Amino acid sequence: MLQFLRIAARNLITHQTRTLLIGGAVVAVTVILVFLLSFTAGIQNTILRNSTALASGHVNVAGFYKLSQTSSAPLVSGYKPILDLVKKNVPEAALFYTRIKGFGKVISDSHSVSLPMWGIDLKNEKDVIGHLQLAKKSTYIENYKTKEGESEVEGNLQDIEKPGNMAFFATHAKKLKVRVGDTVTISVPTTRNIYNTKDVRIAAVLADMGMMSSFTTFMNEHDMRELYQTPDDTTGQIMIMLKNPNDMPAVEERLRKVLTQAGHALMDKEEQPYWMKFDRVSGESWVGQRIDVTTWKDETAYTKWVMSLLGALTFVFTAVLLTIVVLGMVNTLWMAIRERTSEIGTLRAIGLQRRQVLIMFMLEALLLSVGSIVVGIGVGTLIVSLISAAHISVESEAFQMFVMSNVLEFKIDTGNLILTFSLVCFFLVLGSLFPSYRASKMKPVSAINHVN
Amino acid sequence: MNSIELNAVTKDYKLGKVVVPALKGVHMQVSSGEFTVIAGPSGSGKTTLLNLIGCMDTPTKGVVKVAGQETGKLKETELTDLRLHKIGFIFQSFNLISVLDVFDNVEFPLLLMKSLSKQERRERVLNYVEKVGLSGHLKHRPNELSGGQRQRVAIARALVTKPEIILADEPTANLDSKTGQTIIDLMKEINKTDQTTFLFSTHDHQIMEQARRVIRLQDGTVVS
Ligand SMILES: Nc1ncnc2c1ncn2[C@@H]1O[C@H](COP(=O)(O)OP(=O)(O)O)[C@@H](O)[C@H]1O
Ligand SMILES: [Mg+2]
Repeated sequence: MLQFLRIAARNLITHQTRTLLIGGAVVAVTVILVFLLSFTAGIQNTILRNSTALASGHVNVAGFYKLSQTSSAPLVSGYKPILDLVKKNVPEAALFYTRIKGFGKVISDSHSVSLPMWGIDLKNEKDVIGHLQLAKKSTYIENYKTKEGESEVEGNLQDIEKPGNMAFFATHAKKLKVRVGDTVTISVPTTRNIYNTKDVRIAAVLADMGMMSSFTTFMNEHDMRELYQTPDDTTGQIMIMLKNPNDMPAVEERLRKVLTQAGHALMDKEEQPYWMKFDRVSGESWVGQRIDVTTWKDETAYTKWVMSLLGALTFVFTAVLLTIVVLGMVNTLWMAIRERTSEIGTLRAIGLQRRQVLIMFMLEALLLSVGSIVVGIGVGTLIVSLISAAHISVESEAFQMFVMSNVLEFKIDTGNLILTFSLVCFFLVLGSLFPSYRASKMKPVSAINHVN
Repeated sequence: MNSIELNAVTKDYKLGKVVVPALKGVHMQVSSGEFTVIAGPSGSGKTTLLNLIGCMDTPTKGVVKVAGQETGKLKETELTDLRLHKIGFIFQSFNLISVLDVFDNVEFPLLLMKSLSKQERRERVLNYVEKVGLSGHLKHRPNELSGGQRQRVAIARALVTKPEIILADEPTANLDSKTGQTIIDLMKEINKTDQTTFLFSTHDHQIMEQARRVIRLQDGTVVS
């Protein structure tokens, strides 16, 4: 076997040009696959990070309260015993916190925008949103130029611990033509179809994080309670951060069971963010409280198209590229076999079995494949790391929508690398099976007299 | 004892609808330790005959017995095994493995046999390489050797498994007559010292005259 390997290696070296040609193609394809998969994983990672910072825990206990058949408010009434129950049953949690949900208008002197709003108690979730970055002033103040010695940013997210303060993202500040320190009016419709309003100060303008940040504003919890006249024992949702996000499905399932057993009415699972559920809930005939156990995946279901698109793109690319290299490999091997037909005949005469001829050529293909794929994975990882380290910012808004972030992010995942290796290797070996088999079936007498 | 026995052997080649009769009822016996030449003009069936004896092919009709086995009754893998263990081949165009050096070329059949240790293989290879006078060229690859040297490597490779029969199809055809003669001398010498059965074909009269026994083929039949 060792000698077969040596023969294979030496033949590959002898036919350098051919080896480099097909090897190079395999390297290129592997690099592209590594790139695509890291890109996809990076976006998935961004979505997870953004959604858990902005819109969702890993798992949430939310729900709707219906005062009448046609109403729907995203509330959990009497949440304190529920929170206790949840705390008792999720030992995997790193953090529990609650938020109030709202939807209203933010009005400045010149403009207004309608936005979903979170009423938060910053003290409870420093670990969740504490790391959000302030936006550079130049990104939201028209014609702004940073002066010498002046800070590029302004404001402080900390301030929303105090009532009367809010924070939102640069995209909103730009639209409303406001900056830190300005006052805006918040106007929300309450259950009785009356609009409640409150003036709040802008404490911080945060750096945009792609699509999700345009659906997010942070209010002080007290202000939200005041605007909606929410009672103390009511909250928007209980949010759970897990130590390991992979525990999500187990926790979700357990909570559904536990809450049902405790006598709570649960809503059916629906892969939608809460703000897409209003119409459906309003159309249902039940009244009172229903609990909805959701995950970050549900709350960001509107980003699914991105993953689906990327998945489809990766699939098509992979299929096309693999077809090309597999055909290349078949062709290369076929050329090698034609050239060495007489040698195959000789070896068969000496006493090499058919099976061993097959092994010999498969080994040659395998050696070439494994070598090239390993190089490809190395180069791909290097390229991806370099691009990643360069923190290339995404300027186009459409592209920001797509990558969910304002910088290009890649995630090199060992699982993905193994997947790439196995996939490319499998198909190349599969492809080399055919010419190798043909070689093994050649009659020694005719093979030995073959002239090239 | 007969090493080789052929009984009413015919071999037809089919070329599309045309049947080419290459051998037409050949009878022959070769005993152990003989040094025999198959002589005949080009197209007389020498190669076909050697291929049948060498278990590379099976007869259309008749019986070919090699080392006590009837080849027509063997499966492909058994024929291959028989070639590996009982037969050594020397080819007209040497047919060495181009990417392996002299030592590795000679060792190759021993690796396929899987019965010797590394040390035993080494001793065996060195012994035969010395016999063919190439001890100084162990690390050379075939393209670094002359035609005569290559044929010597091929002889060492054929002998290294200690086969019962060595078959050589026109082993001197690609060599000048002087080199050809040294190759024939080498084969004769090994035949004498090792008692290996040699059967080789040629259409060179000078070489025919040196053989103890000559089987003459013409148009697929033995004429004397
Ligand atoms: N593979 C083959 N297919 C068809 N005819 C063949 C084949 N091999 C040999 N022949 C024919 O069989 C006859 C004997 O050929 P061969 O055994 O090669 O003779 P020699 O080796 O004496 O020159 C010739 O007529 C040749 O054309
Ligand atoms: Mg011939």
